[in-house]
Amino acid sequence: MHDFLLSIGYNYWILPTLLALPLVGALLVAFTGRRGEEGEDEVASGAARGPRVLATAVFALEFILSLGLWWAFDPSYEGWQQSFDRAWIPTWGIRFTLGLDGIALMMVLLTTFIMLLASYGSFTSIRRKARSYYALLLLLTTGMLGVFMALDLFLFYVMWEAMLIPMYFIVGIWGGERRIYASLKFFIYTMVGSLLMLVGIVYLGTHQPLTTVNGIVTSVPNFSYDAALNTAQFTQRGALWLFGAFFLAFAVKVPMFPLHTWLPDAHVEAPTAGSVVLASIMLKLGTFGFLRLAVPLFPTAAMQPAVRTAVLVLAVVGIVYGALVSLVQPDFKKLVAYSSVSHLGFVMLGIFALTVQSVQGALMVMINHGLSTGALFFLIGMIYERRHTRLIESYGGIARVVPMFAAMLTLVSLSSIGVPGTNGFVGEFLVLIGSFRTAPVLSLIATTSVIISAAYLLWAIQRILFNPLDKRENEHVSDLNRRELLLMAPLVAGIIWLGVYPAPVLRRMEVSAEKFVRQVESKSAVRTAARER
Amino acid sequence: MLNFNLAIPSQLTAALLPDLILMGGAMLLLLFAVWRRESAEHQRLVGVLSIALCVGTLVAVVVTMYRRGIAPPGPIAVDNFRWMMDVIILLGTIGALALGIDDNDRSGTTTAETHVLILLATSGMMLLAAARDLMIVFLGVELMSISVYALAGLNRRSQRAAEGALKYFLLGAFSTAFLLYGIALVYGATGATGLFQIAERIDANGLTSSPILLIGIAMLLVGFGFKVSTVPFHMWAPDVYDGSPNPITAYMAATVKTAAFAAFLRVWLEAFPAEFGAWHRAVAGLAIATMVIGNAIGLQQRNLKRLLAYSSIAHAGFILVAIAAGTAQGASAMLFYVLAYTLATFGAFAVIIVLSRGDEPVTTDDLSGLWTVRPWLAVAMTVFMLSLMGFPIFGGAGFLGKWFVLQAALQAPRPQITLAVVLVLTTVISAGYYLYVVMVMFMRPRSASANVPMETPAWTQFVMVACATAILVLGVMPEYSVRFAKVGVPRIAIRQAAVYDPNVLAPNELARPRE
Amino acid sequence: MLLQHAATAGAHPLEGTVASYLWLLPLLPLLGFVLNGLLSLTSAFHLGPDDPGADHGHDSHAAAAHDESGGGAHGDDHHPVQRHRHAGLVSLIGPGVLIAAFGLALAIFMAMRGLGEMHAPFVQRYFSWMPVGDLVVDASFQLDQLSMVMVLIITGVGALIHLFSVGYMQDDPGYPRYFAYLNLFVFFMLVLVLGANYPILFIGWEGVGLCSYLLIGFWFSEKANADAGKKAFIVNRIGDFGFLIAMFMLFANLGRLDFAGVNATIGQLPFGGVVVTAICLFLFLGCAGKSAQIPLYVWLPDAMAGPTPVSALIHAATMVTAGVYLIARSNVLFSMAPVAGLTVVLIGGLTALFAASIGLKQWDIKKVLAYSTVSQLGYMFVGVGSGAYVAGVFHLMTHAFFKALLFLGSGSVIYAMHAAYHATHSHEDAQDMRNMGGMKKYMPITWVLMWGATLAIAGVPPFAGFFSKDEILGSVFLRATHSTLADARWLGIPGNYVLYLVYVMGLAAAFMTAVYMTRMMIYTFHGPNRTGDKEREHLREAPWIMTGPLVVLGVLSVIGGWFNIPAALPVGPIGALEHWLEPVVGESTLRVAGGTLPEASHSLEYLLIAVAIVIALAGIGFAFARLKPQRLVPKAQAPAEHGFGLVLENKYYVDEAYDAAVVQPVVGVSRGLLWRGVDVGLIDRLTRLLVQSKDDDAAPGAVPMGGWMTRAVGYLGSQLQSGRVGTYAWVLVVGVLFVLGAFSFR
Repeated sequence: MHDFLLSIGYNYWILPTLLALPLVGALLVAFTGRRGEEGEDEVASGAARGPRVLATAVFALEFILSLGLWWAFDPSYEGWQQSFDRAWIPTWGIRFTLGLDGIALMMVLLTTFIMLLASYGSFTSIRRKARSYYALLLLLTTGMLGVFMALDLFLFYVMWEAMLIPMYFIVGIWGGERRIYASLKFFIYTMVGSLLMLVGIVYLGTHQPLTTVNGIVTSVPNFSYDAALNTAQFTQRGALWLFGAFFLAFAVKVPMFPLHTWLPDAHVEAPTAGSVVLASIMLKLGTFGFLRLAVPLFPTAAMQPAVRTAVLVLAVVGIVYGALVSLVQPDFKKLVAYSSVSHLGFVMLGIFALTVQSVQGALMVMINHGLSTGALFFLIGMIYERRHTRLIESYGGIARVVPMFAAMLTLVSLSSIGVPGTNGFVGEFLVLIGSFRTAPVLSLIATTSVIISAAYLLWAIQRILFNPLDKRENEHVSDLNRRELLLMAPLVAGIIWLGVYPAPVLRRMEVSAEKFVRQVESKSAVRTAARER
Repeated sequence: MLNFNLAIPSQLTAALLPDLILMGGAMLLLLFAVWRRESAEHQRLVGVLSIALCVGTLVAVVVTMYRRGIAPPGPIAVDNFRWMMDVIILLGTIGALALGIDDNDRSGTTTAETHVLILLATSGMMLLAAARDLMIVFLGVELMSISVYALAGLNRRSQRAAEGALKYFLLGAFSTAFLLYGIALVYGATGATGLFQIAERIDANGLTSSPILLIGIAMLLVGFGFKVSTVPFHMWAPDVYDGSPNPITAYMAATVKTAAFAAFLRVWLEAFPAEFGAWHRAVAGLAIATMVIGNAIGLQQRNLKRLLAYSSIAHAGFILVAIAAGTAQGASAMLFYVLAYTLATFGAFAVIIVLSRGDEPVTTDDLSGLWTVRPWLAVAMTVFMLSLMGFPIFGGAGFLGKWFVLQAALQAPRPQITLAVVLVLTTVISAGYYLYVVMVMFMRPRSASANVPMETPAWTQFVMVACATAILVLGVMPEYSVRFAKVGVPRIAIRQAAVYDPNVLAPNELARPRE
Repeated sequence: MLLQHAATAGAHPLEGTVASYLWLLPLLPLLGFVLNGLLSLTSAFHLGPDDPGADHGHDSHAAAAHDESGGGAHGDDHHPVQRHRHAGLVSLIGPGVLIAAFGLALAIFMAMRGLGEMHAPFVQRYFSWMPVGDLVVDASFQLDQLSMVMVLIITGVGALIHLFSVGYMQDDPGYPRYFAYLNLFVFFMLVLVLGANYPILFIGWEGVGLCSYLLIGFWFSEKANADAGKKAFIVNRIGDFGFLIAMFMLFANLGRLDFAGVNATIGQLPFGGVVVTAICLFLFLGCAGKSAQIPLYVWLPDAMAGPTPVSALIHAATMVTAGVYLIARSNVLFSMAPVAGLTVVLIGGLTALFAASIGLKQWDIKKVLAYSTVSQLGYMFVGVGSGAYVAGVFHLMTHAFFKALLFLGSGSVIYAMHAAYHATHSHEDAQDMRNMGGMKKYMPITWVLMWGATLAIAGVPPFAGFFSKDEILGSVFLRATHSTLADARWLGIPGNYVLYLVYVMGLAAAFMTAVYMTRMMIYTFHGPNRTGDKEREHLREAPWIMTGPLVVLGVLSVIGGWFNIPAALPVGPIGALEHWLEPVVGESTLRVAGGTLPEASHSLEYLLIAVAIVIALAGIGFAFARLKPQRLVPKAQAPAEHGFGLVLENKYYVDEAYDAAVVQPVVGVSRGLLWRGVDVGLIDRLTRLLVQSKDDDAAPGAVPMGGWMTRAVGYLGSQLQSGRVGTYAWVLVVGVLFVLGAFSFR
């Protein structure tokens, strides 16, 4: 496989192709079929058929193409792979640089995988303006992939912001009752953070050492990631401020307590696929930002005892807080949303605990949360399509009516609880066992969430699936159909696979994780030593 | 490479050629306009001819630029900054004329002189872009302003228009007074009106802290502050913008402002670079006040024209940040910014023209659900709003403009971090109303009260499409225009700047920088 | 290191024998789970319509889906009982895989016997599960004498209970689902006892918890059952929390998680040090959860909501003993931490006493057995805690026999009762002893067998329970005289005092055990029948598929004691189990005993035995003397308890206390303070200052956005925008002053 990929020059064209394909797809989709009339049910009238099939086909192609990365990627090599580098705005020292490391690789695969399902899962849930919807979904993909691949800060920022707009529209147009409030909140929160990051990025790019170009000493800025990593010039205090700017941007996205309140609203109001994408991928963009930018660029600031402790504490607070608040949510979707806060807390804990195990665990949690929570949102969407309510108390005992749905929901919940044998366990176990080495007390507190998480999810599924079947309208709910089964199958398979045999994934991420830990440790250690001297 | 000796009339004429073409053409057109009796066709014809004239001037400008004329310090500048400003101004003018043709049709205005007035104002602006002597600046300002006063009151039937025009005139008079007073004081302090001489004498006679000079600069600042409508000298803008016909509003909001900024920047960079310490705080203060107040009030507006009025005020603040950097790079940033801003503004006004009916103002309610009836109109408007908001990709050039300004502010010898932060934070506030427009168009149902937008007229459509395309294209591949902006800085600024800003390439050098 | 183990495993004597099919042991039940699971789902599942969003009419199949998809049939009698369409096939697969597994286990056992002495455990490494940096977690199994014993118990007793279930559950609509869960449980249980490192053990550990959750809530349509399942899982999770922390500490301090590695490196830690003690205590927290010890025992009685065979297999014979196994498995660790050992002993003793006392007053036959299980588990912990690992495991084994028998017996009684009530459409409680009585007339076999088991648990020789319980109490007594435990101090109290105290508790508990078990037998089988006149003629012995396993278990609970005869009573193979387990626990037993095994003079040993026998007989006698089944009235018209009896009947109100002290506060704080307060109340309100003025998107007139702070600024600005030139002029002047002021005149 590997040799075949090399023989077709896969490594040279794959990344730009992955970015371009959805764009082209979006254009095509935007002009397939006819424009839906106002208030028309396009699923019933069939107007949605063209766009949704085409879009899903594009996503499928995208996924298949990206799968090659699994083999083409060399797990033992530390540097950037499949890199692609062209001049973009040379006068500003901006280049179009793409590249992957183990972390980005997994994120890219997760994205293409989830997006395929997201599009396939929207077949019947999106009943109006289908063309625009699928086009936006494709645009969104380019943005997210761009963030994972970008090795130029300008490019990173552009992609980072670019994916906002499609999501804003998806939530705002196809969302629930309070969709406008939710979408606006989502947009503004993210923007406040990222605009300060913009200042930080420009500062980094413009504070590069002077370079001599054909005789003239110029200080053409340099926004390449490696330059920012190695040659950017800033003081210790500057590092703190810059870290603050980046921290805010990513902490909002993660979201870390107390910046998380946009998340429940956005998740609840978004259409199913929207929630899935938000939870499975967009939140990871935040943690990815920490792994790629915030921490490696400013290790001295990030690993300063005060800062580090603060972040760790916030992470643990998020873990417990999110779990506790999920416990009392009347709306199942909101419950899952808050549980995301809890799970992402684990990721932050893992990253800042800074041991190989914890970082690897954080990465696993990122992937697992993508699968499990994505699956949960899909299931919620499916039952919502049938009963048009997400309130837990309006269900009860439906396991008798929809056994397959019940089986799926139970399994997925178990993986979200982190029962060993499912993917959920691997991630949380690694994070905790790793962070116990550097922050025992905090990870001990974090571990209590294994109790609370069991409490809120089991309580919820009991009230939905079990108990007496006491509501008339629940007695005639139909079970999953062919498409929905097909949709869940890969997710379930992934949940089991990553729970039983995660080694291949871990191996592909290991080098990058170790590099991350090594770099940050050495740099912060060196600087601190320098300060002491 | 030809060197104009401005002392020799013929060469001076050559250096002024594009301006002269425009003025002469304008005169002839005026005769032609009044020679026939008013009629819609005649009005259109004159409009088209004026556009043709502007295009001609544009060609002249570009040709002169590529002949790489330079000139020793004199009453007028011969440098890329001037030429590029001319280009932007002329583009704006073309936009105004094009919109004007349709808008006159719509509002039943048949007076063909309107177009000629625009041309005359434009010639004043080109003079401003060229001016390298405070007297010429004053000349340009007056030439521009008086025509614009007339244009503001163009709509004779409208009460609001008349009121707005009068206010504009009165307050404009104030500002002119300040400008003149400032010029006088500066002259009193330095005994010169030529920017270059002023700079020289400040250096030579160590006048950096002479009170008279400083007061003079302050007065100049107030004067320019008026013209570019910075808080707190912005009060006239909303009423006037609200009152005037849409094309004129766009023209005032974008092009007039551009020209004023051109003169502003040149005076500041060429005459008072040494006074950076003195004026910096004032300019920075104005910038912050303008960004905050402008955007904050913008949040209140539901009348689209007033909304854009405040947006234009806010943008004045953003551009001031570029000036506050006090570097040649700031000049480049400003060039790029005003280009992007002009495109977005004219596009937005084109949409307003399509939506407006009769004399009542267009409000955000008229936009609600626009997507369902006129999708592409809504998409275009979104692009313009996002561009004004400075959003990447979808807002294209607008974002790069802000990026450039930030770069200038942060790369300046004294990094303007505060200004940069305020800039981005106020951008968030501005998202409040720009995004609101988008939200209304896409996420609200079409309200019954909203009027049915008319079919987009040809010229308006042309402006709309052109602006949108330009914004998006510039947003993805700006390299060429960036390079232009980079070399398009005031000659002398380069010399002074070169001391502390090695980032500037040699004048007229369009060589590709490092890959 | 582990690779070396794989290497040694290569050279291991068991290599190449039937033992190399170790992996097949858990795989067989897993196979059963998959097949039964598929049968259950496919039969219950109806494909939904392609567009669920479209409002289609009521599906015809929904009604069918009702009785198909499990649940509900049990308990509501008007439901037409109809056998599952795959019942036959399932009854083949379900028990089949277990019997096969038992056969394989026996073969492997023979192979091990054949070897004679086997010192290193036989480790099979399959693949690397979580390789991260210096963390090595392999998917690998380990077979040694201890896990062999467990495997035999699990597969053996398991197979019997599976057979019994065929009769017991046959008419349940959820039949395939039941066997799927049951097989899955056995799979996880085998993983638990075969795992070669703590994480693998943990898979089984949580897996069995999961299955018990599913099986307790098997009839999920009744809220009580679903609640009980949930309660079991969550309480277990509290224990798992401890287990996890213990693993983290092991890794943080030793860098190893596999048993071999831990045993090899534990020496680095100081004997009785804080770390090793903490590890052991956290491990024990896990055991307390899984094996229902104070304070986490509360889930087990509720767990009786599940089908009775489940109670027999999971909540008596196997799963609940996992905690005992874990300590026996970690004997090296515990032998290093006397304080932890004392804690285990004390908790075990307390639990034994406490649970037994509750058992005195329960009316539900299964509840009695549940509390007796809790108390017997207490004994086992006394054993393993005091370093008498063999004794603990021995009692585990015998208990598996007689307790499984008791549960299955009660199961067939309930089965008979239920059949009777079902036939007469009565809604009486089929499990309440007050509705039984005189059953010996109707089900003699069950009666005899259950008496055997009762004598066994009461500790009457020569029944199994006598030997194991006596060995535990004896070892406690002896270790009180001389052992590392006796020398250690527990919260300042000398260890030997603690041990003596526990010994006394053990005796007291033994007495109570005898009492409540006899009470159960009397009320159930003796005296007049209280079932009701109509119902009476429907009472009859259960079919052979159910009584067969009972007989086998009966035999086992009679002769079970012979597996480890104390030296003092030379009536058979002396200390067989002791020799068998010697390679695993011998060393640690010595360490705890302080170098030399406590040698009791035969006279002392006889004394202890005599005491035990006397107490057991006394209990039985007391029960017969005091209890008058003739006075008992059916549940319906039973008088309310009062005084201490009431307290006992309500289990000391522990559930209520927990609910008031833990559950309610947590929920309340989460809802009131965290969600409504912090999230909605504080953070969102703060955001609104800047972001959003009002939520409702319905009002188009609403100011787009900008909380009141931004709007306030805007408002002031727009107020100045009066339109009067005068105002403007003033603002202008202010501006000019501002500019002049900003200029710095140096």
